[in-house]
Amino acid sequence: MTLRRVLIANRGEIAVRLIRACREAGIESVAVYSDADCAALHVRSADRAVRIGPASPAESYLSIPALIAAAQDTRADAVHPGYGFLSERAEFARACDAAGIVFIGPPADVIERMGSKIASRELMQAANVPVVPGRTPADQSDEGVAGAARAIGYPVLVKASAGGGGKGMRLVRRDAGAHSAIQAARREAAAAFGDGTLYVERLIERPRHVEIQVLADSHGHVVHLFERECSLQRRHQKVIEESPSPKLTASLRARMGEAAVAATRAARYRGAGTIEFLVEGEGDAAGFYFLEMNTRLQVEHPVTEAVAGIDLVRAQFAVAAGARLPWQQADLHQRGHAIECRIYAEDPVNEFLPQAGRLLLYREPSGPGLRVDSGFVEGDSIVVHYDPLIAKLIAYGETREAAIDRAATALRRFPILGVRTNIAFLLNLLGDRVFRAGRAHTAYIDEHIGQLTPEAALPIEAVAAAAMAHTSRATGAVHGESAARPLDPWSTLTGWGR
Amino acid sequence: MTDRTVTLRYGDREHTVSISGDGRVRVDDWERSVAAIGAGEFRIEGAPATLVWAVATGSTRWVFLDGRSYEFEVPRERAGRSRSRSHQGSLTAPMPATVRSVNVSAGARVERGDTLIILEAMKMELPVKSGSAGTVRAVHCREGDLVQPGAELIEIDETADAENQ
Repeated sequence: MTLRRVLIANRGEIAVRLIRACREAGIESVAVYSDADCAALHVRSADRAVRIGPASPAESYLSIPALIAAAQDTRADAVHPGYGFLSERAEFARACDAAGIVFIGPPADVIERMGSKIASRELMQAANVPVVPGRTPADQSDEGVAGAARAIGYPVLVKASAGGGGKGMRLVRRDAGAHSAIQAARREAAAAFGDGTLYVERLIERPRHVEIQVLADSHGHVVHLFERECSLQRRHQKVIEESPSPKLTASLRARMGEAAVAATRAARYRGAGTIEFLVEGEGDAAGFYFLEMNTRLQVEHPVTEAVAGIDLVRAQFAVAAGARLPWQQADLHQRGHAIECRIYAEDPVNEFLPQAGRLLLYREPSGPGLRVDSGFVEGDSIVVHYDPLIAKLIAYGETREAAIDRAATALRRFPILGVRTNIAFLLNLLGDRVFRAGRAHTAYIDEHIGQLTPEAALPIEAVAAAAMAHTSRATGAVHGESAARPLDPWSTLTGWGR
Repeated sequence: MTDRTVTLRYGDREHTVSISGDGRVRVDDWERSVAAIGAGEFRIEGAPATLVWAVATGSTRWVFLDGRSYEFEVPRERAGRSRSRSHQGSLTAPMPATVRSVNVSAGARVERGDTLIILEAMKMELPVKSGSAGTVRAVHCREGDLVQPGAELIEIDETADAENQ
């Protein structure tokens, strides 16, 4: 079949990116919007746009009936869910199937299975994909659990088999003291879950987060598009991603790629997906462990597109239309280095609180090796209802050094005014010595947040410019100081050619 | 040419800037030519020259320079200016928000620091506090309203002695 019309069940930068891909592929795009987004960039970019409900996500972008109705009303052949919202909801994929609409993603039962920690772990073990070593010992006596800990290898986490949330969890580093830790864990587990059965798991200390991009067609062919290093995270939220990973050796990369392909086959996957691994140690001997599979396009997919030279969304369209992937693994190569910085409306000096407001001034940088994926233009508002991601800046260079320098140079000339952003924080990260040396692990930002937070020094040039902003206002369209609403943000924008 | 003087507050400090008609800008003993080269875009002469972006909204001046952004406040002006302007900073909505509660009505006496209105945005409460003692002249919002940034929420008639802060 061919896709003629695709409904984009998302908003913001990813919707804009998907709509652009539709246009390039000669596919008509249908945007959907909530009342908060009626004038948003994705709505303005699409061939058609359909209102799906009020601002609240539950009544709009998360409403399966509203989205299915919009797809049916516009006679769309397919739905692309983007990331977030309904992208990993099996129920949505099922509703699309039932309505005779192609869901651009894996089959519903695959989403379900890979979304379950236990089921996906079992599936991976069966496919010989390494998982974090752990088990529920049959002998639950103190010595039985300690024996399991020794067999798995210290350090271990001893935790309640029945539940999570850190209840009844103890870190055990050596035999000494193991018994008392096990007894304490058992008591807490029994108190919290009514079941003192213990599970013992290897603790992966300060791991790196490395994920492998995979692509599978509906004819059983699977390839991987190498790794993305996503260790720079703040409270489990990725901030900067890059490819290649600065620390993978060629042999480790090859083994992880093979494991990811095996995992994808075992999952009977279709489309673009990501296998996330925790990596422990360095060099060829480093260990890697399956963490989870993301059954969708990732926020950070552009870094893979840059180094692999492949448009992942276009590949998704091809797979959804039933085509065969045109590549064998040997055809695929990583070239150069790409890095993505996520620009959020948040306040780094104030607990990273999300910010809302109007983009009074917003000028994207451009130039060789730069890509900016954004859902906004100058004058648009960042609203309170949705994710505070403003844009993603992707820099490409021949080397890691060149890509990082290019990203930093671009961020210094990416003025965003009207909402606070994390740009200064991103610049501190890009200049950080440990990051530059490629040695950051997943806890690095949280452990060094003090030194990474922007300082309050004030350059005199900023003071001069602030004064000029005042002056140009007074001599602008608003006449005199006593105008009724002289400082309305809208008046600031008039005459700027929007 | 006549100098024009602008006072800006950044954190706890106030800065006084003089601007002459020919585009010379002076801050203390620092002086440069500053040219507006585009909407909100300025070039400060020097070796090297500096590119900087700046825009005004409400009593706030936003500046972007070398990857950092700065927010200045223009301190409210002395007696003789219109009342509603003098409180623009504290009594307008800082971001799109829902009005969670309105604690005062027209005619009420308020003290500096009193919480007049509570807004809610991004699941956080934002108290709107009075910048001075005075009397509520008018309330422009109701509980449940969705307000946009810069929207005037409340007007206060100041008592005379609040002028010298």
